[in-house]
Amino acid sequence: MQDYLVSIILTAGIYAIFALGLNLQWGYAGLLNFGHVAFMAIGAYATVLLSMNGVPLILAVLAGMIMAGACGAFLGVATLRLREDYLAIVTIGFSEIVRFILLNWSSLTRGSFGLYGYPRPMEELVAHGDYNLILAGIVIVVLLLVYALIEILAKSPWGRVLKSVRDDEAVSVSLGKNAFSYKVQSLALGSAIAALAGSLLAFYLQYINPNNFQPIETFYAWIMVILGGSGSNRGTIAGSLLLWGFFSTTRFLEGYISLSPSATGALRMVIIGLILIVLMMFRPQGLFGRKEELAVGK
Amino acid sequence: MNNMIGQLVANGIVYGCIIALAAIGLSMAYRIMNFANFAHGDFLTLGAYLALFFAASLNLGFPLACVLAVLATAAFAVLLDAGIWKRMRSSGASRTAIMILSIGVSIAMRNALIIFFRPDALRFPVPVMESINLAGILLTYFQIGVVLIAFVSMIGVHTILSRTALGKSMRALADNPNLARITGINVDLVIRYTWMVSMGLAALAGIMLGLITHLNPNMGWSLILPMFAAAILGGIGNAYGAMAGGMIIGLAQEISTAFLPAEYKIAVSFAIMIAVLFFRPRGLMGGN
Repeated sequence: MQDYLVSIILTAGIYAIFALGLNLQWGYAGLLNFGHVAFMAIGAYATVLLSMNGVPLILAVLAGMIMAGACGAFLGVATLRLREDYLAIVTIGFSEIVRFILLNWSSLTRGSFGLYGYPRPMEELVAHGDYNLILAGIVIVVLLLVYALIEILAKSPWGRVLKSVRDDEAVSVSLGKNAFSYKVQSLALGSAIAALAGSLLAFYLQYINPNNFQPIETFYAWIMVILGGSGSNRGTIAGSLLLWGFFSTTRFLEGYISLSPSATGALRMVIIGLILIVLMMFRPQGLFGRKEELAVGK
Repeated sequence: MNNMIGQLVANGIVYGCIIALAAIGLSMAYRIMNFANFAHGDFLTLGAYLALFFAASLNLGFPLACVLAVLATAAFAVLLDAGIWKRMRSSGASRTAIMILSIGVSIAMRNALIIFFRPDALRFPVPVMESINLAGILLTYFQIGVVLIAFVSMIGVHTILSRTALGKSMRALADNPNLARITGINVDLVIRYTWMVSMGLAALAGIMLGLITHLNPNMGWSLILPMFAAAILGGIGNAYGAMAGGMIIGLAQEISTAFLPAEYKIAVSFAIMIAVLFFRPRGLMGGN
């Protein structure tokens, strides 16, 4: 029972942090980041590679966040003066490029063999079998901190300008706000949060390889954010629990259908795709969200 | 050395033709429907698998199976319009919502193909052909066929756009939807034809890709970067730009392998796309 609870906290918690980063970009600023997983990958690999080379863990995590934030800002500067689709196109391409580089830069990343045996925080404190309990505690603390940070930001003048840019960019510009700069900041911060989730994921998995960071991971985060209600942080956390519930129930049901393993996995993905379609057609504000919080698009 | 460059140029033209056909459809759909369709790549995959299915199960000759596959893909696109896109248009859904929805369509289509076929690579039931030697450049008949079919298709697109009433309506709709509507253009009909042309071209591109490489359920999705790079380079929404963009992307990717490890050729598309967005966001030929 305890193991079960710990695994919920670790999986749903790490993905909730990941999705909160996206909510900051999409829910608050209306930005279409379709390559969120790239920033998670950057965080995971930067943390692991730096800490394997003797950099203290906390600095390695921070470095990953800064790198991801800088990449996010760069993509934002390239696209955010243009129509919103360009960010979506460029980020989706970026996530593929990052995965290709991780796969092929073998001298650094060991390619598809992946990396393992790297340091994890507070590892010396407990027996190996109990480590997940400690990590679950770390994940809860990080999740609460990220949640509090975004809530405080959302209520600050910064967050209010961000939402006004989302709802009507022309109005906020005419009031003298630099909409472009606010959007770039939100993109960078959300990307840094994804990198933090990536570091935690690396600690949890104990083994990372580029295939952990397939494009589909981005859209898990999208479903969590949309399901819970775009712009609502509590909704995003609820969405991550719901998606975790979906995966564990379908894994349980797997025994009852006679399909090959690859077909079962694909069937689960078909359902994921259909959920996204049905949500956008019938309930774009999600289960708990409010319609006026939705980035309406122009 | 000359022959090596010549060979890369030839490969680039073949690959560029496929990217161009895919990008034309993507760009046309973008101009008429006004959103970036992230499921476009999966229509390439659908076309290729349908050709395989028709050839194997109906025992048709391969060329006939390909024609049927293109028609069936276009028909599926029309069904999807009636079931999803039309509803989104008439409910006044935002462009961003429609783009997110297209991601859902892409995930569902790709994985449905994995269920119906196998996840691993398949080949068309066509004979393996020896390459012929053209002044030191090796090409298969399939590759030459790809280039010819692509050029014929591009001329076809040009004819539709410039010579027919449909092309005129498409341009009117793209320039001013409301004006088009009040002048009596049947908007839904024009959109349906646009889907048919655009997805028919996608299916054709998918079949040609399967012919010179192999089929796998990710084949179309994995082209999403070069496809969008080509459309943006040509000026998104501009069908002629997409043709030129596709050829440039194809050539750039192949020629880059002379200097860079081949695994990184996809990064060339990305670099070109970023450079265009920084310096010439409307593309070489001016888009939307």
